[in-house]
Amino acid sequence: MAPLDAALIEFLGSGVVLGAASRDDRLVPEVVRPAGIRVEPGGEEITLFLASAWAGPMLRNLESNRRLALVATNPQDNRSVQLKGAVVDVRPAREDERPLTDQYRARFARMLEPLGVPRAFVLRTQIWPATAVRFRVEAMFLQTPGPAAGQPFQAPLRTPGAPE
Amino acid sequence: MISLKDISSCFEGVIPAMMSTCSLEGEPNVTEISQVHLVDEKHVALSHQFFNKTQRNVRENPHATILLHAPVTYRLYRLQLRLDHSEAEGPLFDEMSARLQVIASHTGMLGVFKLRSADVYEVLSVEELAHFFLPADPRLDPPQPTTGVLDAMARELRILRAISDRVNRASCLEVLLEQVFQALDEQLGFHHSMVLLPDDRGHLVTTASHGYGSEGVGAEVPLGEGLIGTVAARRRPMRVAGVGAELRYWRTIRAELQHAGKAPAAPEIPLPGLPDAQAQLALPLLVGDRLVGVLALESREAMAFDAWTETFLNILANQIALGIDRASSAEEEPEATLEQPGPGAAPGTARRPRVFQLFRNDDCIFVDGEYLIRNIPAKILWKLLRAHAENGRTEFSNRELRLDDSLGLPELRDNLESRLILLRKRLEEKCPEVRIRPVRRGRFVLDVGCAVQLRESDSA
Repeated sequence: MAPLDAALIEFLGSGVVLGAASRDDRLVPEVVRPAGIRVEPGGEEITLFLASAWAGPMLRNLESNRRLALVATNPQDNRSVQLKGAVVDVRPAREDERPLTDQYRARFARMLEPLGVPRAFVLRTQIWPATAVRFRVEAMFLQTPGPAAGQPFQAPLRTPGAPE
Repeated sequence: MISLKDISSCFEGVIPAMMSTCSLEGEPNVTEISQVHLVDEKHVALSHQFFNKTQRNVRENPHATILLHAPVTYRLYRLQLRLDHSEAEGPLFDEMSARLQVIASHTGMLGVFKLRSADVYEVLSVEELAHFFLPADPRLDPPQPTTGVLDAMARELRILRAISDRVNRASCLEVLLEQVFQALDEQLGFHHSMVLLPDDRGHLVTTASHGYGSEGVGAEVPLGEGLIGTVAARRRPMRVAGVGAELRYWRTIRAELQHAGKAPAAPEIPLPGLPDAQAQLALPLLVGDRLVGVLALESREAMAFDAWTETFLNILANQIALGIDRASSAEEEPEATLEQPGPGAAPGTARRPRVFQLFRNDDCIFVDGEYLIRNIPAKILWKLLRAHAENGRTEFSNRELRLDDSLGLPELRDNLESRLILLRKRLEEKCPEVRIRPVRRGRFVLDVGCAVQLRESDSA
């Protein structure tokens, strides 16, 4: 698996809508909205920050099996990508990581504001204390709506309709 | 368990939901979905239009979990679902399919994608993620005034009665529509509304509107196209919330299809009124099973129209329909009270002359090279203008128009009054020097405040 390219790393950090999924041993899926994201140096691993207050079922799943899926969507132009992989570490987020969650929340609020979501709502979401979940990316899929949705992702992530 | 009815606003499709599924091999999948449909107290439905990982997963492992936001409050709910069955026909399928095509048609994608099935899920649990938000802060969240349900219903009944009285008292169709628009605006806060009436070619023509300026009267919608055309074809009300997000979604697909060399040929159809509408509601105006028009409302507020609004306005729509029907077959009443005459057009011919051009093959009139009107209203205008030019006549009656076979008015339910309204409004917009002014029920005056030249040719 090639490391994430610079443009995709920037996309993931730009305040896009995030959703992370896991499943339990009976294959019942779970889904949360991560409160922050960091692509680790080398571009092969990603750390997600999950608000501990309401990520309980997700974290229990990740203790029993390590499978995780992450979708990232820009709600303004619908560019979207899904990453799948295996969790390599789960631990309480450190205080020095807190600015990452504040930063994501602020960018997320800016992303949604032109679409009519008042900034105050996003800024009131509970993000701390958080649990840091690091996973190794094993597969990436394009999820922008259209005929290429679901195909293996090939950098760069295009603006819909734009040439390669 | 929280009742699905209690969170019904989550199913309006204003905020996309997040959905996770899992393959039999244990690989989770996550995606955004634009709308979850409420079926009944225990079931929701999702549209299946593309074969994708989500569809494959739920067909081998029926479990799914979704996160749903309530509009306005943004409260977050977690629903655990299990695929129960798929429907490829029937009322639920038809409703979801029509909804899909309504938005698709506005982006020129009508029929490009078909709904394969309505997938019905049993709802196993509903839970509010109470910790999603920090505790309420009175500095950030001022207390909302609460009104009792009975108070609200009593208020709405009073409004309904007031509107109903206005409809009943209206002396003609134009007054009736103006009264309704005014009441919708002042009493209910719906600032953008229009009524479209069917013409002889199966199109719907905007005959009167409110909140759009003078633009738009005369605009046509083919039956079956867009929200209004679909509502007319299905004879069922329909509302769309989160219009902006839906349009963005379909424009993305359109752009991606173009990129892949599979571009649909159809052009985009502009939204009927507001370019930035976030919510639309259209109601068929029915007398029995007969369609006499469509009442359409728009708002920039995504949640302006809910299920209650739809029910409430449906009662009103029935009254308007009867009013239109009554007006369309109204006979001349010579003894009726004189309408308040408007200010007459300036006499004389000092203003610039206007050239009216009739294209006989298309029954279409242009004024100074600009499209004015077509079909029966065009034939009526030509008859009036010629009578005025040839012998100076200014006063006319509905009866003589009804007796003139050359106009092609149907014998029953000729909608003459609505055709005259359309003609009057188009003249106001394109040639205010020539006016049609009702003087009493069944009679009107042609005011010509400029020199008029009439030209005829077979085609353009």
